[in-house]
Amino acid sequence: MLLASMQDIVFGYDREPVVNRLSMEIYSNEFMALSGPNGAAKTTSLKLLLGILKPWSGRVQINRNEKGKRPVIGYVPQQVASFNSGFPSTVYELVRSGCYMRLGLFKRFGEKQEALVHSSLEAVGMWELRDRKIGELSGGQKQRVCIARALAQEPDVLILDEPTTGMDLESRKGFYELMRHHVKQHGRTVVMVTHGLEEAEPYLDRMIRLEREEGGGWACLTTSSCSARFGPEE
Amino acid sequence: MGMFDYEFMQRAFWAGGMIAVIAPLLGIYLVLRRQILMADTLSHVSLAGVAIGAIMGINPSVGGFVIAVAGALVIERLRQNFRGYGEVSIAVIMTGGLALALVLMSMDSGLNRSFSSYLFGSIVAVSSTQLWIIGTVFALVLIYWAAMRRPLYNITFDEETAQIGGTRVRWLSQTFSVLTGMTVAAAMPIVGVLLVSALMALPAALALRFARGFTSALIMAVSIGLLGMFGGLTTSYYVNTPPGATVALLLLAFLLIGMGIQRIVYRIRRDKDPGYVVDVDSRRFWQRQSRSSQQSNVKTEVLNKN
Repeated sequence: MLLASMQDIVFGYDREPVVNRLSMEIYSNEFMALSGPNGAAKTTSLKLLLGILKPWSGRVQINRNEKGKRPVIGYVPQQVASFNSGFPSTVYELVRSGCYMRLGLFKRFGEKQEALVHSSLEAVGMWELRDRKIGELSGGQKQRVCIARALAQEPDVLILDEPTTGMDLESRKGFYELMRHHVKQHGRTVVMVTHGLEEAEPYLDRMIRLEREEGGGWACLTTSSCSARFGPEE
Repeated sequence: MGMFDYEFMQRAFWAGGMIAVIAPLLGIYLVLRRQILMADTLSHVSLAGVAIGAIMGINPSVGGFVIAVAGALVIERLRQNFRGYGEVSIAVIMTGGLALALVLMSMDSGLNRSFSSYLFGSIVAVSSTQLWIIGTVFALVLIYWAAMRRPLYNITFDEETAQIGGTRVRWLSQTFSVLTGMTVAAAMPIVGVLLVSALMALPAALALRFARGFTSALIMAVSIGLLGMFGGLTTSYYVNTPPGATVALLLLAFLLIGMGIQRIVYRIRRDKDPGYVVDVDSRRFWQRQSRSSQQSNVKTEVLNKN
């Protein structure tokens, strides 16, 4: 099912557009990766998709699910972990806050949520550290806690911006397996920006690679059978 | 105790007590959102409101209140539009508010005399109208906090992720600013324009150093605020010092003592400890993950059936 689509997006921070006529489609229940060299507007594309940035022209559409609801999106930004390191929260409190999105203002934080927080923390291997202050953790650990928080949101779509930065090989593999598990078993959609396309490839359903064009612009190509069409048209 | 024989002291303690709960509570969020200077700015703007109120013949407290709320909305608007230059808008509005207040006050000689009580605060200054204003703001802030503490936590941690998760960040941010404006205006008669932000910043600063978690930071900030406020008001009564400054100095003393104790405790611990860190970043966690997430998955599914 088509989950979200971007059509002919043009966007720039200054006068020059950094994204030129980008079109991309995201299907539900897929593990998808977006890659490309530095400055290829990967993060910008994600932010356009999420609606944090408004495109100059073009259309972004996020489809509603069968129940007519907007899908719940969990987002783990690039280096969210180093962002607010003085935040006075325990690991548990922070991951617990992931449930707030679905609970709303007053619904009780019950056993189901406890179990959810527990399994999210176990999944990233941080359960033992649940009582630690997040400021005391290392960068990689903070990253894991942020992933756990996104999982506790029970998102329909999980969007991660370079989640494996600073992880060792073993951890990265574990992470890809975890994402694969969430796509297969929980029916989620995972979109991640990554540099390690080669090692992630066996786990992925679809890859999109942004590459530099001869003229200096960014051309885009996809490396698996799909209908995604990217970048400037001839 | 003799001081409670005076009605004005009773009023001052009631008013001070309520402010000492809500100001540090909001202060924690303001510090974490890097907006603590907003309290300072709003108090200066609110002073202009006091002057405008006096000149137009309305109750000066009401004037200060209205202008503080309006100022809060303007600052919030500017902050959202000029993300990179948040401090500039604060500086501009702060000096603008103070300059306007000074000019307006010089035009009204009657107001000029009570000027220092607005700048530095006064225990005798709490009228019953002001007590009503403070009581209303107290109730509003507590109700708002009780209802909104979940989304507030999320936007305080990170606005972007909160927005994507479906929180109405803009609305929440604006209402929060309005309540900050109200609190500042309500606290002004006692603590004084110049030191309102002390009551928001100092308890939060101390609590953030010590607290283990977010809830404990909130509780700690409020307790410190209450202690500083009652201690300061009592001292102010017996020694006859301006209440705002006395409370601020007491809070500052708490902060310094707290930091000193923390440093000593750390040093003692470091001497005892060989300095190793618990090895938590090891691979076994990740290898374990698929099994344990399967297990807890089963648990959730069972719960779903109920």
